[in-house]
Amino acid sequence: MPLRLCGCQKSPQRHRGTETTSNASMSQLKIAVVLLVSILLQLSLREVWKPLSYIDFPLVVVVYIALQRDAWQALLVGTLAGLIVDASSGGLIGAGGFAKTLTAYVIYFAATRVNLENPLLRIPVLAAASVLDSAIYVFWHRVLGYPPAVPFVQTMSYKLIATTVVGTLALYLLDALVAERSAQRRQFATRRRVARRSTGSLRRR
Amino acid sequence: MASVRTQKEIRQRAPIWLVTLLVTNLVIMAVDARDADGRQKILRVWTQTFASPLQNASSKASGATSGFFQQIWNFRGTAQENEQLKERLTQVETELHAARQAAAENERLKALLNLNEQSQIQSVPARVIARDPSVWFNTITINRGSTSGVEVNMPVVTAGGIVGRIITVGPWSSQVMLITDEKAGAGAVVGQLGESGALGSVRGRADLGVSLIEMRYVSGLEKVEVGDYVMTTGQDGIYPPGLNVGRVVDVKHGTATQAHQILIQPGAQLDHLEEVAVLLYHPPRRSTPEQTPNIERPKR
Repeated sequence: MPLRLCGCQKSPQRHRGTETTSNASMSQLKIAVVLLVSILLQLSLREVWKPLSYIDFPLVVVVYIALQRDAWQALLVGTLAGLIVDASSGGLIGAGGFAKTLTAYVIYFAATRVNLENPLLRIPVLAAASVLDSAIYVFWHRVLGYPPAVPFVQTMSYKLIATTVVGTLALYLLDALVAERSAQRRQFATRRRVARRSTGSLRRR
Repeated sequence: MASVRTQKEIRQRAPIWLVTLLVTNLVIMAVDARDADGRQKILRVWTQTFASPLQNASSKASGATSGFFQQIWNFRGTAQENEQLKERLTQVETELHAARQAAAENERLKALLNLNEQSQIQSVPARVIARDPSVWFNTITINRGSTSGVEVNMPVVTAGGIVGRIITVGPWSSQVMLITDEKAGAGAVVGQLGESGALGSVRGRADLGVSLIEMRYVSGLEKVEVGDYVMTTGQDGIYPPGLNVGRVVDVKHGTATQAHQILIQPGAQLDHLEEVAVLLYHPPRRSTPEQTPNIERPKR
């Protein structure tokens, strides 16, 4: 049994706790960066080519976090993303926040009850999120007397196609960059490779 | 540890967080939707102030990216463009000569009529730094705000024609509602002001997008043809009279009891706006009659 000389030595449990906290804060930082990048893309891509504005990048990030089954983070990111985009938009401030928060919760709710880990299942989830987000956003504008400047069905269809196609690819990218599970998987693969090498060299000896 | 929440706790608390955030958004929305009687909305001023650095950054980034690709694209047709430009230069020189003569004549006539330069409207040049990030609206953001003298409801124009009006003013940036918006509108006339009686109002329509606007209430007895120019009348209290709105591209002729249905192509290229000018125009105040029945007078 190892001897404890002083109180400054960390116990294994406490050490594991600090590691988890630092992992969580690292993951939160990554999400904040991804969210900021998605908002910047949303603000700037319309100037490059107008059809690119049909891709809802912040919604893709919201869907990704909701699929991770982290309710608090999904709801907060949904509200923040919506409010920031609303601030520079001609629509009502809060409408985007409302739509994205509700969408995030619906996806979180579904993800906690149905297994949505399969990458193929993400396609209908993204499509449903896009439709729900658009419908709620336009509903509130119509109710409060601010009708959108473009036809609803046409715009929603374009947005659905663009967000689903680009979003599916973006979710793969986010999986590789942000998800801890994929990082762990990579780590285990390296360890396995190293272990195999070392056992091989032992056998040769 | 008390601070670490279990999955069960998160699941239990999620509906409470959801309701809290939804109510917060709803309150913000209700405050923003409240009609401010043509005045500035405080919430909008704050959001505009905080959003403008982000918009500036994104504008610079996208400008650099699109500029790079544009240069590569432009390089392909340089020789052909050079020939076209030479031909155009010859034409322009001839036109310039005619224009100089006209300007000299104009000066002489002005002197005769005793008009002075002070009557002209001052303008502030501005650059478009952002377009609406949501696909549902068609607003633009410009890099001039209250520090440059810009105020709510001031008209925004380009050399081609009117663009829209200022709806939100921050210290260093402003938001412009395009003339193609359903909530935008302007008093207009087909043909020259004072010569034509084809008066009406122009406004956007959701199904027409940004390429066309609709002109309403033009009497079916007035003569309107495709290709006619449409000018502002100044009756809306926003745009000064005599500004170009656009050109008539489609007319469904009305009758004595039915108005014409007119579609106009805006003179300003609203899809590719880069530089605009804000007219520091204050419309003349209309005097309200003292004895107006059934109208509540605002307290001074």
